[in-house]
Amino acid sequence: MKSLVRITVLILATVAVLFYLNTQLNDSSGRASSDTISVFNWGEYIDPELITQFEEETGIRVIYETFDSNEAMLTKIQQGGTRYDIAMPSEYMIEKMKEEDLLIPIDQSKIPNLENIDPYFLDLPFDPGNQYSIPYFWGTVGIAFNPTLLDGQTFESWSDLWSPELEQEVILVDGAREVMGMGLNTLGYSLNSTDDEELRAATDRLMELGPNVKAIIGDEIVETMRRDEAAIALVWSGQAADIMYVNEDIDYSVPQEGSNLWFDNMIIPKTAGNVEGAHKFINFMLDAEIAAQNADYVGYSTPNLLALDLMDPEVTGDVRFYPTEEMREELEVYTDLGPEMLGKYNEYFLEFKMSMNRN
Amino acid sequence: MGTTSKLAKVYLAFVFIILYAPIFYLIFYSFNSAGNMSNFEGFTWEHYAAVFQDTRLLSIVLNTIIVALLSALISTAIGVLGAVGIVYITNKRLRQSLLSLNNVLIVSPDVIIGASFLILFTMIGVRLGFASVLISHIAFSVPIVVIMVLPKLQEMSSTLVDAARDLGATRRDVFTRVIIPYIRPGIFAGFFLALTYSLDDFAVTFFVTGNGFATLSVEIYSMARAGITLTINALSGLLFIVTLILVLGYYFVVNRAKTPFQAGVPK
Repeated sequence: MKSLVRITVLILATVAVLFYLNTQLNDSSGRASSDTISVFNWGEYIDPELITQFEEETGIRVIYETFDSNEAMLTKIQQGGTRYDIAMPSEYMIEKMKEEDLLIPIDQSKIPNLENIDPYFLDLPFDPGNQYSIPYFWGTVGIAFNPTLLDGQTFESWSDLWSPELEQEVILVDGAREVMGMGLNTLGYSLNSTDDEELRAATDRLMELGPNVKAIIGDEIVETMRRDEAAIALVWSGQAADIMYVNEDIDYSVPQEGSNLWFDNMIIPKTAGNVEGAHKFINFMLDAEIAAQNADYVGYSTPNLLALDLMDPEVTGDVRFYPTEEMREELEVYTDLGPEMLGKYNEYFLEFKMSMNRN
Repeated sequence: MGTTSKLAKVYLAFVFIILYAPIFYLIFYSFNSAGNMSNFEGFTWEHYAAVFQDTRLLSIVLNTIIVALLSALISTAIGVLGAVGIVYITNKRLRQSLLSLNNVLIVSPDVIIGASFLILFTMIGVRLGFASVLISHIAFSVPIVVIMVLPKLQEMSSTLVDAARDLGATRRDVFTRVIIPYIRPGIFAGFFLALTYSLDDFAVTFFVTGNGFATLSVEIYSMARAGITLTINALSGLLFIVTLILVLGYYFVVNRAKTPFQAGVPK
């Protein structure tokens, strides 16, 4: 018994020491200010130096937290119990949050830097007039491929994927909207289609792709492509950039029939306690220099027009990641289809996946 | 036993290689100057330097350890009392149902536990953060401690307690001088299991963190979209080495203190 008591005391003492260290650590990073905002973002989706810079410039302390999916973020904000002043969800989630009345309107007069943003990325269908959201990063869905493994073949069109020579070469990302969207795009339909016949036709078309599909996976795609273990993959542009950063053989293209264009935006959720600070943070992130530094660090495409001038022209001139406006015309943004329609997409996607086992 | 066959040894080695290979692979790349896990370019300490510069990450590590130690300690105390209580309940049916309830908590999915805690905490107005994480970690650790302690209690002969009472021991004496020393190995096992459960729990913790408090598992999962940096490799390497030192230290202390009797016999 005595030794158990001794061990308990030892553990408590350790905890006390760690606790003290932790408070020291937080104090030393200049976080003594009472004015705080808390930011809820994807992991590794901001340059940490910028947080320190913001804290120094404004005296507002930033509490930074991360989430791993739009849905997880929604749950935390819906339930309350936390105080998030800023979050960075994707466009379809913003539409949903708006409907559920989870957002605070943004006072644009407090965000003068909004004029730095390319007008193309403002006033989009998911949030007309940018009442609730301000652009953060954007990107596309397309095909990453390795010409050295494919005798120099390139991909201008979705239907190239159906070529019989590509048996067991194609990897698909495990997302119902992405894969069904590819099926719909191939046939010239909208990837927000709610027409049952079109969805049926897209699924049938996808099933014909069956023999070419090597795997339907998630984040592992990046690693498989890097190692030359696969030649072709349906991916998001950011993933493609990650792959290309390491494996220079790889190329990325957005097929001409059209594809998905996505946006991550900054919003102020209903749970916000410091709306004033949140506006300051948004304005700070829109500053040209800040946005350029952030885009360099994160690697996704920035919607900030002035920032583009400050960045490496080799990056910003790369139409694979910064497609021209003309090219973007062909692209489509996801709209929130509602749970019923989304269920249908999932069902058709499942049917496609099940058909694969029969081959 | 005595003679372990060659095949058994090879098999054992194989199992250990499979268990440890990913960890060493990860540590190996933490020294990679190329900044990724696909090709080794050259040796560097920069990822280790990055760990110590990132105060946010360090603070998260400290949070994780504090919660693990505290929750393991408290849940061990609660679990031991609970196990003793369950063993000394005379009504068979009541005892059985309490045990079943305990087991249900062990097998129920983390996601369900996490979501229910989130709903509970927000309903009664608890601010999410350190307290909510600690409480939920204690909650999912208690059933594990109970399960680890129960077998020891059940194998303990009731004559030990009877003898102690006959010799004039009070209830308290029986508990602190007979029961507790006897079940000591179970208590330690429960404590360490609770510690590891708390350290690597993601599902429950994700739901109940908030207001600036995060643990390592939540932070690493969130990096999925933009890719996990080698800083995490370096950090994992450091944690692995600290754990290794602690385990070796514990092993030596126990071995030195050991009397000719095996552990498990009251001393």
